[in-house]
Amino acid sequence: MTLSFPSPQFDDAVAAVCHGSASEAEMRALNESLRSDASARDEYLLRIELHSRLASSRDLFCQAEDVAAGCRTPIIDWDDRRDFLSPNPRMPAIRRRVVQVLALAACLVLMAIGVWGLWLRPPATRNGATSTAVAMLTRVVDAHWTQSTAPARVGSALAPGWLRLESGLAQVVFYSGARVVIEGPAELQLVSPTEAVCPTGRLLAEVPEPARGFRLKTGQINVVDLGTAFGIDATHGRTEVHVFKGRVEVLSGITAKQPLGEGQAAAAQGSTPLRLMAANTVAFKALFEFQERSLASEAFRYEQWQLANARLNQDPSLVVHLEFQNLNTSDWTLRNAAESDRSVQDATIVGCQRAEGRWREKQALEFQSVNDRVRLAVPGNFDALTLSAWVCVKGLDRQFNSLFMCDGFDPGTIHWLIRNDGVLGLTVFGPDSGDFQIVASPPVLTLDRLGTWLHLAVIVDGKARQVVHYVNGSPVARQELKLGPPFRLGAAELGNWNARSGPNPAPALIRNLSGALDEFELFNRALSDAEVRELHAKGKPDL
Amino acid sequence: MSVDSNSRFDDATAAQQRFLSLFLRSEREIFRYVAVLVPNVTDAEDIVQQAAMALWEKFDTYDPTRPFTPWACRFALNKARQWIEQRQRWKALLDHGLAEELAQRRQELQPEFERRLKRLEACLDKLPPGQRSLVEAYYYERTDIESLAGRTGKTAAAIYKMLQRIRQALQLCVESHGKPEVV
Repeated sequence: MTLSFPSPQFDDAVAAVCHGSASEAEMRALNESLRSDASARDEYLLRIELHSRLASSRDLFCQAEDVAAGCRTPIIDWDDRRDFLSPNPRMPAIRRRVVQVLALAACLVLMAIGVWGLWLRPPATRNGATSTAVAMLTRVVDAHWTQSTAPARVGSALAPGWLRLESGLAQVVFYSGARVVIEGPAELQLVSPTEAVCPTGRLLAEVPEPARGFRLKTGQINVVDLGTAFGIDATHGRTEVHVFKGRVEVLSGITAKQPLGEGQAAAAQGSTPLRLMAANTVAFKALFEFQERSLASEAFRYEQWQLANARLNQDPSLVVHLEFQNLNTSDWTLRNAAESDRSVQDATIVGCQRAEGRWREKQALEFQSVNDRVRLAVPGNFDALTLSAWVCVKGLDRQFNSLFMCDGFDPGTIHWLIRNDGVLGLTVFGPDSGDFQIVASPPVLTLDRLGTWLHLAVIVDGKARQVVHYVNGSPVARQELKLGPPFRLGAAELGNWNARSGPNPAPALIRNLSGALDEFELFNRALSDAEVRELHAKGKPDL
Repeated sequence: MSVDSNSRFDDATAAQQRFLSLFLRSEREIFRYVAVLVPNVTDAEDIVQQAAMALWEKFDTYDPTRPFTPWACRFALNKARQWIEQRQRWKALLDHGLAEELAQRRQELQPEFERRLKRLEACLDKLPPGQRSLVEAYYYERTDIESLAGRTGKTAAAIYKMLQRIRQALQLCVESHGKPEVV
């Protein structure tokens, strides 16, 4: 095969190289052609350059017409803006009437019970609300389960019941925070977020402060953890408990409470009293290594996330990116890490506890009291918006639990929240006061998802006129948006809401979140489904 | 944690931040440098990733008084060479000194490319909407060819052909603008 230059065959070969689909014969022929002809070489280099610029210059696409709204804040002069704010004369008559009826209805509702009234209908059927999960399977190595009890996969929620591991290693994290690694063959019965039974097998339990009081039973004894790391080696007739850190209390039929400290161990067998001995790490070597490896992989995920963020922060359509990094008790600001758009410098932390985020090294803010909130002000008008957050919801204590809420009920603003039945809600307020639309998802925040890190996102697309809710990168609700842009955010809050009411707000106006946040992004355009999927993949706690 | 290990941790974090900011500023240029040898986007990205890891490992040998990009490109070139060495097809393309020749010549042509491709953005804007969204899906959103084919009901080969034609159109567009000055 030979390639002359210029020729259609030459063109095809260059294109095939760009796409990675060229055959070896084609590549060899191209090699000869390029080596023998300097003008072919120059032409080849120019084509490759054009191709590689298309692949590497994101700004080429961002400033272009199609996505102008996405990458730049549209500039609307004063006259235009007035036009947007008054009822649009170009809107078809029938549509205008719909809006007016909507607006009137909304005003009546507002007067009667307030805008939140629409939310106060009976909760939707609680699909997953019956879930009784107490723990999650987080990691496995070569795990073989007894057929009947095989858990679905890593990441699945575990209801009370038996796990029977024939061989391999598996880590279970209880919703109380206790982490237990079991080594097969082992049987583990999950009882509650704070209790498990292990009649046979070897396990290593790591119990952080909040999970203190975690109980582990075997055939012979009952171990109550007092904030530690301990190992259990149980057979049907005999149990050993080894304490590697902190303290536990051992209860057996015959002995009263036996406290065990660091480096101590005890063996229980039949009706003989507990035999005390020194803790032995050797027997738990595989389990320790597994824990270490899982920590190393956490560190790896955390690094990957930082790397991905450094790239994301250059996205010109990114308006706000709060990474919740470098938090300390003396600093009350969260830095906006978005690099292109600096219209928002930072956000202010009010109250909130510092907490652990998706990974051990990752920081987070925990929202608990009615005062806890993160405040920010976002200037400008938007044709479309994408909001994205990593959140660990502890409980749906309020009727409405705020994710991101603009102050008050101003025209053009939005409220993003979780209803107490697990429904994700987005309220858009139209240009006329009293005019609004609620886009609600099915009840997706089921109980088994509480206490785990979730990626939530919502898209408000004023151009395509739709609102899409996402959980963990997948769309869960897609609805037509009846109200048009511009959207304005202005003063807003994460994890709470400033209703701009009096000093003693009505209960329906208290909407603080119970849970933790460790990342928040705001884009001035509608991301595609693929891009939301990527956002989730970027921040997923596990690989 | 002792004070000492704390400060070590901070040092490591600071170094990582410094590396990231340098690397990200150069990433585009490193990618283009690699793409001269391996133009296929996903393969080139893999090589850049491998180079990034090697760079981070050797970051303590980097002399901050010297520019970062050429230093990084040297690593990228090594990684690309190793990658090509294991692939018969790509070896066939770059054998007999062509790799070196291309890398060298590209350097000479850089200013010329800068001048010509300045118009690329304007030319992209002139594409008909269908072509524009295909380019965007392939290059910007990085949708793989199978899903593009599935979405449009065309074969992968047909999509490749369309992309080839669009690049030709873009090249014509950037060139046609450059010419009047010469004539």
